[in-house]
Amino acid sequence: MFKNYFKIAFRNLARNKIYSFINIAGLAIGLACAMLIILYVKDEISYDRFQLNADNIYRIVTHNVDKNGGKIHKEPNTGYLQGPRFMQNIPEIKNFVRIQQGNENIKLGDEVKNQELLYVDSSFFKIFSFPLVSGNVNNCLNEPLSVVMTEDAARTQFGTTNVIGRIVMMKDDSVFVPHKVTAVVKNCPQNSSIKFDMLLPIRESQADATNSENWFNSFLNTFVVLNPHSDIQSVESKMQKFYVADTKDAIISLKKQFGDVVESWKSEYHLQPLLDMHLSTELPSHNGLSGASNPMYSYILSGIALFVLLIACINFVNLTVARSVKRSKEIGIRKVVGSDRKQLIFQFLGESFLLCLIAFVMAIVFVQLSLPLFNNLSNKALALSYLFDIKLVAGYILLFVFTTLLAGFYPAIVLSGYKPVKTLYNRFSNIGKNYLQKSLVVLQFTLAAFLIIATLTIYKQFNFLTNEKLGYDDTDIVTIQKNFKTHEEAWLFKNELLKIPGIVSVAPRNGGSWSTIAKLGNDSTINFDYETVDESFLPVLKIPLALGRNFSSDFPADSANSILVNETFVKKAGWKNPIGQTVNFWYNNNKTYTVIGVVKDYHFESLNKKIGPQLFTMKPGNPYEMVFIKIKPNTASGSLMAIQKTFKQLFPLNPYSYVFMNEKNRKAYEAEAKWKQIMLFGAILTIFISCFGLFGLSVLSAEKRTKEIGIRKVLGASVNGVVTILSKDFLKLVFISLVIAIPAAWLASNKWLENYPYRISLSWSIFASGALLVILIALITVSFQAIKAALANPVKSLRTE
Amino acid sequence: MIELKGIYKWVNTGNNRTFLLKDINLSIKEGEFISIMGPSGSGKSTLLNVIGMLDEFDEGEYVFMNEPVHKLKEKQRAALYKQYIGFVFQAYHLIDELTVYENIETPLIYQDIKSSDRKAMVADILDRFNIVGKKDLFPTQLSGGQQQLVGIARALIANPRLLLADEPTGNLNSKQGEEIMDLFSQLNKDGVTIIQVTHSEKNAAYGSRIINLLDGRVEK
Repeated sequence: MFKNYFKIAFRNLARNKIYSFINIAGLAIGLACAMLIILYVKDEISYDRFQLNADNIYRIVTHNVDKNGGKIHKEPNTGYLQGPRFMQNIPEIKNFVRIQQGNENIKLGDEVKNQELLYVDSSFFKIFSFPLVSGNVNNCLNEPLSVVMTEDAARTQFGTTNVIGRIVMMKDDSVFVPHKVTAVVKNCPQNSSIKFDMLLPIRESQADATNSENWFNSFLNTFVVLNPHSDIQSVESKMQKFYVADTKDAIISLKKQFGDVVESWKSEYHLQPLLDMHLSTELPSHNGLSGASNPMYSYILSGIALFVLLIACINFVNLTVARSVKRSKEIGIRKVVGSDRKQLIFQFLGESFLLCLIAFVMAIVFVQLSLPLFNNLSNKALALSYLFDIKLVAGYILLFVFTTLLAGFYPAIVLSGYKPVKTLYNRFSNIGKNYLQKSLVVLQFTLAAFLIIATLTIYKQFNFLTNEKLGYDDTDIVTIQKNFKTHEEAWLFKNELLKIPGIVSVAPRNGGSWSTIAKLGNDSTINFDYETVDESFLPVLKIPLALGRNFSSDFPADSANSILVNETFVKKAGWKNPIGQTVNFWYNNNKTYTVIGVVKDYHFESLNKKIGPQLFTMKPGNPYEMVFIKIKPNTASGSLMAIQKTFKQLFPLNPYSYVFMNEKNRKAYEAEAKWKQIMLFGAILTIFISCFGLFGLSVLSAEKRTKEIGIRKVLGASVNGVVTILSKDFLKLVFISLVIAIPAAWLASNKWLENYPYRISLSWSIFASGALLVILIALITVSFQAIKAALANPVKSLRTE
Repeated sequence: MIELKGIYKWVNTGNNRTFLLKDINLSIKEGEFISIMGPSGSGKSTLLNVIGMLDEFDEGEYVFMNEPVHKLKEKQRAALYKQYIGFVFQAYHLIDELTVYENIETPLIYQDIKSSDRKAMVADILDRFNIVGKKDLFPTQLSGGQQQLVGIARALIANPRLLLADEPTGNLNSKQGEEIMDLFSQLNKDGVTIIQVTHSEKNAAYGSRIINLLDGRVEK
């Protein structure tokens, strides 16, 4: 019996090429999207799960309550003391490991290169499951001058992985020190938040380990291992209790130094499960940990996949039911010759199964073909071989069965219910109201229109982020990293650089981002970012002043007494008259600084963050760690050569590398740019598949109405008139879809935009252009068939009746 | 074999009730060859479909092979029908996607007959109807007469006791029609009860009894 069904199914597919193509191609694309996204989501969820002890590993994090706003600021980082002290005093904590980000200059042949690495405690390999290729888990990180490297790192360094006992020269301060390789570890899995090339033992001096003031200095990640089945809340409250007791003395002595500000440094301790870390937006995997991701992307992708698949299934249902007029005769005959309803249901399900099977195989081919592109766009290293995971295979089979049933069940039930007397005596018509078909088309186009409008919004917002004026000029600016020992060393380099003809100006600055707290005159405190610069910083970046004056060599006392602040700082401080106000920042022995100028707000951080208070100083005690070099336009290659030459002459033992600032800014929004493309693909696919379905329906509708069209033409209807009649019905549905989709898209877009402090305003043009696009595409799809039908010779169509 | 008592069938259009069949009383014995005649719209096909259990009636009693059809459930009716009745249509109603062989085989599939038995039965009937050479062709590749032959072969494959034919020669030329009617006579002689609907006096004459319908009533 099944052979018979399959024979019919195959012949039906072969005979109705348009219909088969629409269904199979649509389903294949839908399934391929769903598969890709299952892969993606699976990878996201699988992060860090390979850690055998994952369920018992937690990261120590803090919630800091801002006294003024009452807002909770969550902080994923900790310092030297939290790990060891909590372990000693809380029985549930079995072990801890601290992971600190760092980099060392290492010798590779004659070259010196900058190597990023992690400083970790010797317990690292006991807690985390990174298998060693050689070396001993128990003691490979015990010696201070040991180094552990991955196979890849060993290959770049030595050309082989058999490197135990070999020496790597690393520069700590000014001299190169030999480090011995004690272990080689397998490369980190791509779905690991902890990724490294090299590990060094953490460097904690005896003084650091005993100084209780270090509770307040957060710069690394601390992980603890709890006894299985520990009560997290009780451990957290024990941590809190111990912390309060242990910091009592330190707070008293710090208060003497800095005043009441100290009270606001207090933290509330919490534990974040290792497995929650990857997708946490509040407490992300930063500072040595990598791969931090936003679950929003998983949601958006899943939504797209579901949309595309649903639309493909709707095509299937609609086309199958619409084609049922043709199939009805077969159904009637089968019933007459003895088939019961159940057998017919199985037959139609069998057909949808076959169709889905073909689509499924095609989808796997699509996935294989599109994986490189998708990996590139989503920043993943997914492979089809991931598919051979049992759970995932089960997921795909479920998806397949689900699709088969979703697409096949309704048509099977409807078609098998036809009465043979009606179908065999030409009394059968499917012209009726067709509410289901119509609502499905509406649903389809609602989804498509929604996605298109949402995509336009996302597209505009991301465009805005990448093109928005940052408040400074980042063109023709080269940045170089170099830790200068003194300001004078930096200025020496600056003066040498200025001798190069292609160079316009040079400004040193601190590296990374610094932030701290200060006491204002009126005893309130303020959190702010702060930069150590010199007088050339603002001019080099063309950052304008709003008030007052820049640092100047005409005022030698500037470096010791003066500061600049940005407009937000002034606003936060509530100053009416900022020039001449004083700021006392905490670690400076109650020394106060005077505001000499107000800098116009500029985006010193990502546009994803609101501009915060910012302060500029020239304090000699703060290091310069990088320089901004403005070069003349179109002199890049020559200037870069000259800069490198000067750098190598002055600092032969330092690694040299440069970055163009505008390139770096562009890279900062790489993720956004890629998501923009993913959304675009998704929207194109959705509208594409929707139109597939609409095209199929219009073909069938035109076929069904051949006689009507023939009669109308004989009675004198024009081609235009006929096209209008045929297109009108579908366009009406598309209009209804828009009426539903636009408000929904407006709500969703608004909600999404709230994630961005700097955002586009939702203008009507987005909705209008989205709607117009949908209508236009639908119109082209439908009218193509309508025109064909309208041009047909009526004599032919009427004669066959 | 067939007992119809006071069969009524109607459709409601608005407030009017239109009768398709009105008080039909009919008794048909096994081995008869009945021709139902009457003008268009007189209810011939409806009566045939009611007898064939393809259509339902609104009032009356119908006993088929001693089973009260009006009391049976859909499933039982289908089983009864599958076992005893074969149908032949004016428009042949073959499945276009299946070959001659597969079309004839279809009823057997639905009766759960083993594949080897099916082969033998189909081969047998192809032989009997002289269409062995056509077995791999699709219906559209055949002439009307040949298609109707296939239709009859399909109706007969499961050895029904009753053959219902709705204008079986209506789409055929006279020569083809004659052949079909000769075949019917032969089948009737072999013991198959036949009820045919026809417009043609000539074809009706092949039967042993003629029933005339007018406006849903049997004309006396």
